[in-house]
Amino acid sequence: MGLWKWTWASILLRLILIYFPHNLLNLSSRPELSTPLTSLRRLAEGYWLKQSSMSPYAGSMYHGSPILLSLLGPLTVIRIEGLPPQILCSLVFVIADFATAMLIRAIGRNLKVACSRKFNSLNLGKVVDNPDFLPAGDIAALVYLWNPFTIFTCVGSSTSPIENFLILLTLYGACKRLPPLAAFGWVISSHVALYPAILIIPVIFLLGYGPDSPPRKLFLEKNLTKTGDDILLKQSAKPTYFSWKSVVLFVLWASIFASCVLFLCGLYVKEYGGIHEMIQRTYGFMLTVEDLSPNIGVLWYFFAEVFDFFRYFFLIVFHVNILFMLLPLAIRLNHRPCFLAFVYIAISSILKSYPSVGDSALYLGLLSLFVNELADMQFSFFLFSGYVGVSLLSPVMHNLWIWRGTGNANFYFATAMAYACFQIVLVVESVNAILNHDRKIRKLCTTTT
Amino acid sequence: MAETIAPEVKPRPIIRIGLFIISHSTLVSIVCCIAGVLALLLLPVLAKSTYFSENALMPGSAMSMLSGKNVVEADRFVKELSSLGLKAPSTGLEIPKLIAKGMADLGGEVSYHNFHPQSKKFHPLHFFSSPDPDMVKANYSCSSYGVNIIGIARAPRSDGKEAIVLVTPYNSSDISLGEAMSLGIAYSVFSLFTQVSWLAKDIIWVAADSRHGEYASIVSWLRDYHSPSFGGLEKLNAKACREGLVTGSEVSDSFLRGGTIAAALVIKVADKSEVFDKDALSIYAEASNGQMPNLDLINVINYLAVHGQGFRVKVEKLPSLLDSKWLKVLGTAIESLGKIARNLNPQWKFGIPVADYVEGTATLASSLYNQALGVPTGPHGAFRDYQIDAVTLDILPKISSYHKARRNEFLLHGARLVEGVARSVNNLLEKFHQSFFLYLLTSPNKFVSVGVYMIAFLLLIAPLPVVAASLYSDAHKCNSGIKNEDVTSADFVDGPTINSKSWRWLYAAKTVFVIHLWGFIVTVLPFFVCQIPNCSSTTSLLIWIASSGFSLILVHLLLGSPFVTASIPQSAGKEWLLLKSVTITAAFIGLCLMSVINFATAEIGALLTVPMCLMARPLKRDFNVRSTKAYARGALNLVLLHIGFPMAAFFLIKGAFEGFDNISVGDFWYWVESLWVWNSATYIYICMAYIPCWVLCIHILLHPC
Repeated sequence: MGLWKWTWASILLRLILIYFPHNLLNLSSRPELSTPLTSLRRLAEGYWLKQSSMSPYAGSMYHGSPILLSLLGPLTVIRIEGLPPQILCSLVFVIADFATAMLIRAIGRNLKVACSRKFNSLNLGKVVDNPDFLPAGDIAALVYLWNPFTIFTCVGSSTSPIENFLILLTLYGACKRLPPLAAFGWVISSHVALYPAILIIPVIFLLGYGPDSPPRKLFLEKNLTKTGDDILLKQSAKPTYFSWKSVVLFVLWASIFASCVLFLCGLYVKEYGGIHEMIQRTYGFMLTVEDLSPNIGVLWYFFAEVFDFFRYFFLIVFHVNILFMLLPLAIRLNHRPCFLAFVYIAISSILKSYPSVGDSALYLGLLSLFVNELADMQFSFFLFSGYVGVSLLSPVMHNLWIWRGTGNANFYFATAMAYACFQIVLVVESVNAILNHDRKIRKLCTTTT
Repeated sequence: MAETIAPEVKPRPIIRIGLFIISHSTLVSIVCCIAGVLALLLLPVLAKSTYFSENALMPGSAMSMLSGKNVVEADRFVKELSSLGLKAPSTGLEIPKLIAKGMADLGGEVSYHNFHPQSKKFHPLHFFSSPDPDMVKANYSCSSYGVNIIGIARAPRSDGKEAIVLVTPYNSSDISLGEAMSLGIAYSVFSLFTQVSWLAKDIIWVAADSRHGEYASIVSWLRDYHSPSFGGLEKLNAKACREGLVTGSEVSDSFLRGGTIAAALVIKVADKSEVFDKDALSIYAEASNGQMPNLDLINVINYLAVHGQGFRVKVEKLPSLLDSKWLKVLGTAIESLGKIARNLNPQWKFGIPVADYVEGTATLASSLYNQALGVPTGPHGAFRDYQIDAVTLDILPKISSYHKARRNEFLLHGARLVEGVARSVNNLLEKFHQSFFLYLLTSPNKFVSVGVYMIAFLLLIAPLPVVAASLYSDAHKCNSGIKNEDVTSADFVDGPTINSKSWRWLYAAKTVFVIHLWGFIVTVLPFFVCQIPNCSSTTSLLIWIASSGFSLILVHLLLGSPFVTASIPQSAGKEWLLLKSVTITAAFIGLCLMSVINFATAEIGALLTVPMCLMARPLKRDFNVRSTKAYARGALNLVLLHIGFPMAAFFLIKGAFEGFDNISVGDFWYWVESLWVWNSATYIYICMAYIPCWVLCIHILLHPC
């Protein structure tokens, strides 16, 4: 089967890249791949500090969660003769990538089943049964596995693959309507990376309404036109109803897991300033943008330039920017919670304080879950060329600035801005395409009845 | 639906302008290409005179303190050196000993630096990684070591955080008169620097052993200077070899360092001399990948050499351009244009004399060529890798300079120039940053800055995205026409097929991607070809070409067949439009990237790529039309493709500049070899961006529509 062949091939490629030219491109120190939050080198440093009975957060080296430290830390110190250092961590990342791809595939299948059920109830079954209707889950899994961003992130020793895995675990749990799993994924991923906390909205929609479907209004209209048929009415009225039970369960589980995590973390850092210190060194570090070393985001440059007394104002502006967009999008896209999750992840990866290409890898994978819906997306080629161009230009500009000294920070920041623009265009166009797709379905409904 | 609503809404003006340009893409591309070439030819006219950006330099503001006494001492030193050089076979240690003794006598700190030159290796991906610190360490015999002698004049009033480097290459086993003279110049300057009180930066005099090449010795010295050294095997070996060298307590045992190097001068004196009324000074500045030192450094040297010491300063020119007819015609046209402009308005200072124009063009061409090669033009190139501004000063004495009386005068002028430059750099408060790093020289005191030469390049590549967009929309348009017919027959609007919608370019993108992947294989192949022992250059080249062709077939078999279009469904007649669009986009991205890395390569690459890409069109279509225009276009396409083959282009350029007399096929291999041993990005550009583009153009030409 094509899927498995290519999946194994991608894993083999990763293993070769990990084993063979270890510091060929110095991947682990590229600013595009490892941020202060996701760098494995920093994690190893934090673990070393912890082992020598110091606070792992001493000296502003490590800023991640204690959970990652206790899981990955022991693996960083194990050396195997003849193999590159930190091989075990790299293997963990490869496994995480594989698991993520499988979760994407499962979500894709789930979406397809839900979609065909909904379409059948709208008498549009032939759309889904059409042989041209692509197996979105398989495509998305392969896109995720073969995306150069994913491959380089995986090989470049950054903890992004694990964060991505946790986020997809949340979505998978919500899609399958398993509140404990969704709650577990959501709590851990928010704890590790903070930004996935906004995914609570799509998760609640997923648990309440079920996976993506055409707008609910259509079913109501359908029911109105076919009031005579009682059986159909019952069948199609059922999914529109919001299941409070699973949402309540989710909240319950989430609070249990959250208290567990806080308790364990508190235990772990008890001797080094306690939970307060941990929150300050992890979430505080993310929210106040303390580290201004260059990355592919736009915040470092801005906060390097801004006057100190405006700093807090702009910090609030930038973070509220993400929050402002949550509500309108949630209202407009409430019938497509998985797509909503994609939009949220994409927006947060544009505006987050320490972005890396690992975040892009995640949302590009999620985006390809909707290949059928996005078939009419505009500017696809333009966006593709833009992504290719920026991802090649960015290392060159970095080289020009840091190593050659003939460029300056503006050169590198220009590529970061271009990258942000392309991401924004991508989000706008994909949302546009989805809304157009919904309109098209409505039109089909009215013409077929 | 969006498509039906769209025409009613009037798009915004900027989008309308974009659409207008795209719909007139042919005209736009012709105008832009011609304007780009014209702008390139106009660059010598647009060149500005150089000026000092950094006020702290204050060149020539202080009286030279170098006196006759210093020069007489230096003269004696030169005599000693040349008498040693004339002697019969030496052990290779007398000359270093003598130089070290000279340095120590002047009051400098002296140490030897033994090194083993690293053989250059093939690193296709070296460009993006930082310099590799770990090198292969092995047991070497003593004779293979080179000996650099390092003398440091400590600045009396500084904390030793900054330094200026003077480099004089010499051959430790057989010293020539020119080398002795350059050592003499450095000796007299050094004798002054050990005495003066105004020094704020340490002066490091490196007498670099050029037995293994000037470049290699400086590279190894710089590497040791910038990396912490721990006594390894090599050091022990070196110590054993140094036994014969130690002359006394004045030679330090450890590796001596100053601070951060602010600037470096490489001083060379030519052995031959020329009949001129002045000594000539050639400035070489190009480092690896077309990097240049800060323009201020060249300004200082030029200013002091011309106004202070009466040198005739030159930068390299392409001699064959100096007496080319068409350049003269062009120059005359520009001169007369300038005259007309001045008649209209005396304020307009446009146009330069014919002779200036021709000279400027020849210099500019050589500047472009040297930068495009990406190979350093002298030992100064090693410094640029550590972000140090450096130039090579090649002094060509006039005929009488080697006579005894003239020698003192020559030494005095050379030493005063070096003293003046060092004194200016000494005034700097921070490293060179005020003036340009990205520029082309048209004469020693005229330059074209990045803001001007970029215009020529941008005009040249501007048609690429426009044509790509127009081809893309063409392919889309005819596709949507077919689509509409489908709709009526299938009475079904929502057939979400990827083949027929906006993602159809993915097939073309796959083809382009596979070819670029093959380009990567072509890049790496010479690494394996080099391993074959006893291979002449011609055979290596043929093996390279053959294996490239073979790998193309292999890639095509393994990763889906880019050359078979049967698998691509529907509207096959227009498939080439998308393919050409994607090809052009890839070429555009490649050129943009290269223009950041190395402008000159991108400019020359654009001159070859842009017409080739824009013209490409299936031959079958042209021959089916059977009109003169179509035939002419087909013929032009074929010609462009033949010129575009890298080897053909290389031989044409070589032949145009050096004549077709002594050209052999193997030359191309040597040229490519020189590119990769110097880690030139040009090599990567040719193999990974240019050749794939060329192959794709062939593919489009042979496309079965």
